[in-house]
Amino acid sequence: MLEFAATNGGPVLFFQQLELGITLGAMYALVALGYTLVYGIIELINFAHGDVFMWSTVVLLLVSNALGLKGTLGGFALIGVLILFLAIGMAVSAFLNVSIERLAYRRLRKAPRLAPLIAAVGVSFILENIAQLTIGSGFIAFPPIFPTTALNIFGVKISILHIFIFGLAVGLMYALDRFIQTTKLGRAMRATAQDPEAAALMGVNVNRTIFMAFLIGGALAGAAGLCYNLVIAQVNFFTGFKFGLIAFTAAVFGGIGNVYGAVAGGFAIGIIYALSIQYFNFLPGGGVAWVDAIVFGILVLTLVFRPSGILGQQVPDKV
Amino acid sequence: MPTFAQFMRAPFARTNHFFETTKLGPYPIAWYVSGWRGGLLVLLAAILFPIFYDQTSIQPLLGDGIQVGIYVILALGLNVVVGYAGLLDLGYVAFFAIGEYVASFLTTGYIFSKLGQSPIIVLKSPMPFILIFPAAALFAGFIGVLFGAPTLRLRGDYLAIVTLGLGEIVPIFFQNVPWFGGNVGASVLYIPNIQLPSLVSSIVGFTTISLTPLLNKAGFYFLTLMMVVIVVLLTNSLRESSLGRAWIAIREDETAASAAGVNLVRTKLLAFAFGAAMGGLGGVLDGANSGSIVPTVFSFNTSITILIMIVLGGIGSLRGVILGAAILRLIDFTLLGQLNTFRQTSPLVTNIHGILHFLALPQFDFNQAKFLIYGLILLAMILLRPQGLLPDRRRQRELVGIGESAEAYSAVGLLEREEAGEGVSGTGSEDMTLFTGSGSDAQGREG
Repeated sequence: MLEFAATNGGPVLFFQQLELGITLGAMYALVALGYTLVYGIIELINFAHGDVFMWSTVVLLLVSNALGLKGTLGGFALIGVLILFLAIGMAVSAFLNVSIERLAYRRLRKAPRLAPLIAAVGVSFILENIAQLTIGSGFIAFPPIFPTTALNIFGVKISILHIFIFGLAVGLMYALDRFIQTTKLGRAMRATAQDPEAAALMGVNVNRTIFMAFLIGGALAGAAGLCYNLVIAQVNFFTGFKFGLIAFTAAVFGGIGNVYGAVAGGFAIGIIYALSIQYFNFLPGGGVAWVDAIVFGILVLTLVFRPSGILGQQVPDKV
Repeated sequence: MPTFAQFMRAPFARTNHFFETTKLGPYPIAWYVSGWRGGLLVLLAAILFPIFYDQTSIQPLLGDGIQVGIYVILALGLNVVVGYAGLLDLGYVAFFAIGEYVASFLTTGYIFSKLGQSPIIVLKSPMPFILIFPAAALFAGFIGVLFGAPTLRLRGDYLAIVTLGLGEIVPIFFQNVPWFGGNVGASVLYIPNIQLPSLVSSIVGFTTISLTPLLNKAGFYFLTLMMVVIVVLLTNSLRESSLGRAWIAIREDETAASAAGVNLVRTKLLAFAFGAAMGGLGGVLDGANSGSIVPTVFSFNTSITILIMIVLGGIGSLRGVILGAAILRLIDFTLLGQLNTFRQTSPLVTNIHGILHFLALPQFDFNQAKFLIYGLILLAMILLRPQGLLPDRRRQRELVGIGESAEAYSAVGLLEREEAGEGVSGTGSEDMTLFTGSGSDAQGREG
């Protein structure tokens, strides 16, 4: 495989794919944080989270059409549009995620564990298909508003857009870390994650904590939706299923319930994804055809051999 | 075994007044449509309904009947895994795919030709068609054990995600390994030409027409019906066997079951194997019915469609699952077309704007909304009636002693009952042994 890599461009190609992987990883990490926040607090795999992310991409497409955006923007126009899109995307996904919690999951909180999971699958179906009815089943191009300028470092092209996305993701993650570690609500979230009943006895408003987890998770997914539209620029109703599953893999790989694990897992899975596309090209159909199978294979292997993930604690099963 | 007198005693203490009291001959109506008698009635109807249609319009109806039968088999197979053993499998479609490809492999030699061993596609089955069923069932069951083995240590929701991952990997494998025909799919060119015995065909009335086997669906319809009956009898007797009780025990409380001597690994693997084998049977029937394999069918949507059939009818309930499968297929075949007609004729929906604007589009087709409707059904059932339309009788009996709140979650409680596990009352035990022979009653108590 190394020889194969060398014949295809050697280190330059490797670093080029690495750069793409880090960009993808930033997006996966943002979505994975939503999975891990919710799982950490109510132990629910929010199966609809990928579709919450997808709805951010869809709404941003509709907004960009309404604004009549076509080509590359510059200067203050670009900054203004980006801030607007970020606000809209985060608001849409946060609102959607919180509504789902309120309408579907809250009623099932005392139900057996698989009831909310099945409900989440139903919600995912509904969100996907409303999106399909809204924008059709094709892939719709998002206008390329961001300049395509790239830095060239020893032959490796690092685009400004990718740097922006990395910076945005890291900034949001830092804000989340500060929120969880320093604020009163953040402390309540950590307490609820450890032991909901004890936290409730200590005066923590558990409902508000769960609300916050869904709100923050949704907002991060909305930001990821903007990044996705800028990088991949193809809006489709089915994006959320696969993207969500890969982000969930990232959350599991890093250790579900652990926010640092979700970030580490997100970047790891992003890099594995980008490198697999390139270095598994010898498989029939090319690396692109198999990359999902490779990521899901990682998911299965992680869950089977180390369910706590690379950063998670080994926790015995609750009886 | 209940005595005959016990069996006769009104088993409808809490059922619908009309069924309970209105007599038809010596017994109330409910007596005739409950348990195995009801099943027999449904079977008779399924056998006899072709008589009452004229020969030209019966073919598409038989085609629908075959589809319903295939999905009943798939739903019953998934019900073994989800309903009996309480293991949520979100990648069930993988076994369906395996059954289809096994059928293709055994009947056409298509895959051999891709391997370069034989350049000629064998048009005729090298083995009797009926032997393909056990072959596919065994192979799918074997793959089921392979899939199940590494996942057994996992808790319910993790298991669901692992099976989902495996269910995504299998179609990717089939679509990209060139032997299997890629996105075009492989062929199952051999469509069995099933000759009805002359007595049956003279009763049913098919002797007067001679269509090609492709068009004359009657033989294949009865083959499907036979497989459905076999699978129904198998799943029913499995539930009442020691293995079935072991499944229910691990579903209720894994730790307690293990302490009571249930071999967890063996029991769970057998659930996976039986479920997978039935998925394989469904795959053979579907492949042979359509004559070719369409790999896009093996998607997550299909897995969830089968899951919705179970949740709609009642998780773990034989009659419920059959009803759920039939309802969902009928929505697909009939209701969506009716809605299209209604939408075109009704002026109510022409002024809708915003997110529902699609309802006002002249070219909008309700078939596009199929999975939206399925999703709404799934969510509504979980939130409003989680025990399903026709809940499992044993399940209901157990829940009598628990009270209202637990009953609200009864069907899903089948999957995993951490919350209400301690509430199983002994009051229903006598009734349980009483009705072990009868899998259904007419109208379940509405909760």
